[in-house]
Amino acid sequence: MHELGLSRNIVSIVSEAADGNPVARVKLAIGPLACVETKALQFCWDIVTEDGPLNGATLEIVAAEGDTFLIKEFEFGEMA
Amino acid sequence: MCGICGCADKANDVTLIDPETGDKTLIRQGGLLQEHNSDPHRHHHDHHPAHPPHEGQDTPHIHSPSGEVISLEQAILSKNDQIAARNRGWFEGRGVLALNLVSSPGAGKTTLLERTIRDLASERAIYVIEGDQMTSNDAERVRDAGAKALQINTGAGCHLEADMIADAVDQLDPVPGALLLIENVGNLVCPSMFDLGEKMKVAVISTTEGEDKPLKYPHMFRAAETVLINKIDISEVVEFDEASCRRNIAEVNPNATVISLSAKTGENFGPWLSMLVSDGK
Repeated sequence: MHELGLSRNIVSIVSEAADGNPVARVKLAIGPLACVETKALQFCWDIVTEDGPLNGATLEIVAAEGDTFLIKEFEFGEMA
Repeated sequence: MCGICGCADKANDVTLIDPETGDKTLIRQGGLLQEHNSDPHRHHHDHHPAHPPHEGQDTPHIHSPSGEVISLEQAILSKNDQIAARNRGWFEGRGVLALNLVSSPGAGKTTLLERTIRDLASERAIYVIEGDQMTSNDAERVRDAGAKALQINTGAGCHLEADMIADAVDQLDPVPGALLLIENVGNLVCPSMFDLGEKMKVAVISTTEGEDKPLKYPHMFRAAETVLINKIDISEVVEFDEASCRRNIAEVNPNATVISLSAKTGENFGPWLSMLVSDGK
């Protein structure tokens, strides 16, 4: 329903944690009761990451339990 | 709805309107989580959140060797949840009972508020925060009924978030022991995800909507502690089967308190009012 907004949240949290350094991969854990459409999230990922340190980063989603909706980890990318 | 709304759009500005003075305050510009500095205490960057410190959370300042994996384990809605927790503490400290009213559009939330305000005005100070995409019609209605009200216009947004409530409460400044009724945007989907710091969510369903709403929107009815079945005065005309509706509510949320009432005629309004007087118990 609001995956665009949620993906902006993810970008904001990861960018802050990466302190502006390039990011190559982000891994999320999403449970069946989290009310999050993973396809919609994937769909808007390229758009919300386009400008900034997450440009080109891949989005990896693993299934989790209950209403889990977490950023598990991220991987730094090559310095430009 | 908002999956394609274009969050940087002006339509996504969130404004706070005081129906008494007509003053408008812009509390959020464009996209989600954009920082604004109207209150530096509320919006500072929190590098040491109140959440349990997860391993790896304090590593962002390491300079990135390419390929290094940083474990975050951070809840995506944690920023909202932190602000909600702060709101909740503020309410508890002042003995303010805050309720988050959710329903589909047209279930009768505003009419319910109007009668509640009229009937309870002598017992408890009442404040209302109204959430709608556009217009301050609802805030004007509840203000006419006798409560202090603020309108939040969410623009393209489909729900209220904790920081909007924090800003509104700042301005409303409810007295200790007050009742704060938050009327969320009419929507049975998104508001279930966002904690505002309320004591509980109250879902309103009306007899015109059909008995199977709780099964169609289980997340919302699971998140609500109390369910009000409104417009019970016309249940016969619209052939509403109350027993089946109650069964459906129990199926998704066996612990919910269910009250059938009519906000228009006042039928069976007593149990709802006594719940508000006794602090939601």
